[in-house]
Amino acid sequence: MISASKRILLFIFGSLTSVFAQSTLEQQFKFANQLFTHEKYFDAITELKRLQFFDIDNKFSFQSNYLIGKSYKAGAKFDEAVNYFTRAEMNSENDDDYFTSKIFNARTNILRRTTKQAEKILNELLNDPRFISKEKEINYWIGWNYIFSDEWEKAFEVFNENRLDTTLAELCKTVDDEMYSVNFAKYCSYLIPGLGQFYTGEYVSGTLSLGWNILFGYLTINAFIEDRVFDGIIIGNFLWLRFYSGNIQNAEKFAIQKNLQISNKALDYLQYQYKGEKP
Amino acid sequence: MLKIFYLIILLSSIMFSQQIDFQSPENIKLFADFLFCDNDYLRAIDEYEKYLVAVDDDLVQFKITIAYSSMNDCENAINKLGLIKKTSPFYEQSKIELLKSLYLQNIDSVFYAVAETLINSKSLYANNAYRLKNTALLLSKTELPEKESFLIPFEVEEKKTISDFYNLKKNPPYKSEALAGVLSAIIPGSGKIYTKDYGDGITAFLLTGLFTYLAYTNFEHDHPTRAWIFAALGAGFYVGNIYGSVASAQIFNAKVNFEFNEGVKLFLEDKKYFTPNYDFCK
Amino acid sequence: MIINKKYLLSILFIYQVAIYSQTDWVRWEKSDLTYQLKNNYLEREYDLSIESVSDVIVKPVINAYWFFVSDVDGANCPFQPSCSSFLVQSIKETNVFQGVVMFFDRFTRDTNIFGRHEHYPRYGKNHFYDPVSLYTLEEENINYIPAKTYVNE
Repeated sequence: MISASKRILLFIFGSLTSVFAQSTLEQQFKFANQLFTHEKYFDAITELKRLQFFDIDNKFSFQSNYLIGKSYKAGAKFDEAVNYFTRAEMNSENDDDYFTSKIFNARTNILRRTTKQAEKILNELLNDPRFISKEKEINYWIGWNYIFSDEWEKAFEVFNENRLDTTLAELCKTVDDEMYSVNFAKYCSYLIPGLGQFYTGEYVSGTLSLGWNILFGYLTINAFIEDRVFDGIIIGNFLWLRFYSGNIQNAEKFAIQKNLQISNKALDYLQYQYKGEKP
Repeated sequence: MLKIFYLIILLSSIMFSQQIDFQSPENIKLFADFLFCDNDYLRAIDEYEKYLVAVDDDLVQFKITIAYSSMNDCENAINKLGLIKKTSPFYEQSKIELLKSLYLQNIDSVFYAVAETLINSKSLYANNAYRLKNTALLLSKTELPEKESFLIPFEVEEKKTISDFYNLKKNPPYKSEALAGVLSAIIPGSGKIYTKDYGDGITAFLLTGLFTYLAYTNFEHDHPTRAWIFAALGAGFYVGNIYGSVASAQIFNAKVNFEFNEGVKLFLEDKKYFTPNYDFCK
Repeated sequence: MIINKKYLLSILFIYQVAIYSQTDWVRWEKSDLTYQLKNNYLEREYDLSIESVSDVIVKPVINAYWFFVSDVDGANCPFQPSCSSFLVQSIKETNVFQGVVMFFDRFTRDTNIFGRHEHYPRYGKNHFYDPVSLYTLEEENINYIPAKTYVNE
């Protein structure tokens, strides 16, 4: 009887040790989490590192690494964020944790514009039989990854095919429709100097290019007709060719710059007005 | 029996809930040491400061200064080093650390004054200060002392490098601006070849030659207008090249100075500014 | 010889420091990085402000040249500042005569296509940095920047 009660005492003694030890860790985690929700990310990381330091049994390894990653991500310290999401992934105890840390890793890579890396991670998840049920979510981020790679047509296809988000699908479609074709602009200017510039709406520059090319083209041809071969070669080579290649470069440049403006307008909308989930 | 149970629960709840008291001075220090060795210096400093409120600790005070100086925050390092007490076992180290921070802050007058007092003191690190001062002299504009006396404080394996630096400082491989200009006046471009801008030198020679030739033939064929234009351009390139050769010599010399200074700075970095090794993180 | 070895050491040293937690050596706050893409083309900065007598003649000519010729021809100056901006700036910092002489020297450098990578620091994606301050013959203004370094103004 005595020994039995002693055993019970010992058991209570022992279990209390672990219960209370864990509850202080729990409290510490809650405290860090509070700092995180109050956007005090630097301090949140300090407290999480403290938690990790005293968490000898690695009970909070996943949660702390994951939250440190999120804190760094919120401070736009993407390299560190990726590092800690990877640590979280290595410490994940179930498929859900693994999936979340992978997705956050990909989202950080999207923001960091290391879109190749993000694509690799997302494709891995897509091909993983454990996450078939989460195909929609994975595809959603694949779409965002295309947006950040400036591939709006592919983004539209992803959002549209999977019936993910009509706003995003429409936006991507509009952007893709508005985009100028850089090659078309270039080839136009190959044929008729200034045409590519007109296509992108740069009429002054287009007219100037056309003017110079007509002038020097005329002078060159005229020189050859009048058998002044040397003059012809000089004018053709140093003047006509110069403005002809400048005309093609400009057509390309304007198309690229116009496209940049279109992309940036859409990206601005996505960052500040779009209400859905963002990377 | 029941009373004993309650007592145990009560007791153990007090005891064990305190088992990990994150904010106890010992635990703060343990965590701070970990951060310090993880190079997370700013967080380590915050924790050490918290610890110092409860406990007076010379080592921790000193480690704060090292943390600041590891982050290249010399200003705070200097402030904190000033607070190290004479009774601290790290007082001597704090002096040489102060000298290092003063050097990095470029406060020359204070640096040399502190260096002199430290060199003439009986400090363990008097010789370190001497070496730091002499190396710093290599970077200053003041005249260097005689080579023999300059080399005295250095260790045997350092003497070769320092002696090389000394010679470079005394006889820098400068190019003469005047010579570069004169050379280019005689043969266009040769001044730039002398300052090792080979491509630019040859180009200058070709351009001046081309326009002189064009001017010459046009004069011969009675095209005076064209001839004068080419002559003006040729003259422009000729004068421009003389000017450019002088500028090129100046840039060459600036490069010599730059590379010398970088070399000395890297040597200092390599030697950790002659501060001791502490091994706080084994 | 001493210097080259040390360069290697320094690169290693910098690399080692960089991989440790330098991010947290300064307190940071929440930050929303912009989604916007960057424009890599250098924008032409037309400038007709008159600050000296010579500007009355030089500036309109240069601006007209930029508008009618430079912006539509295909020969892109590989330097920053461009040759024409270099002329404007050097006249501003010295005088018309010295500015023109400096321009001839710059044009020589522009014509030489060899060894640029080993000679000049880099500016942006496609330009070499070759500022006026190196060539005014005032030694205290020369701020030597080693070749291949990236300059961001």
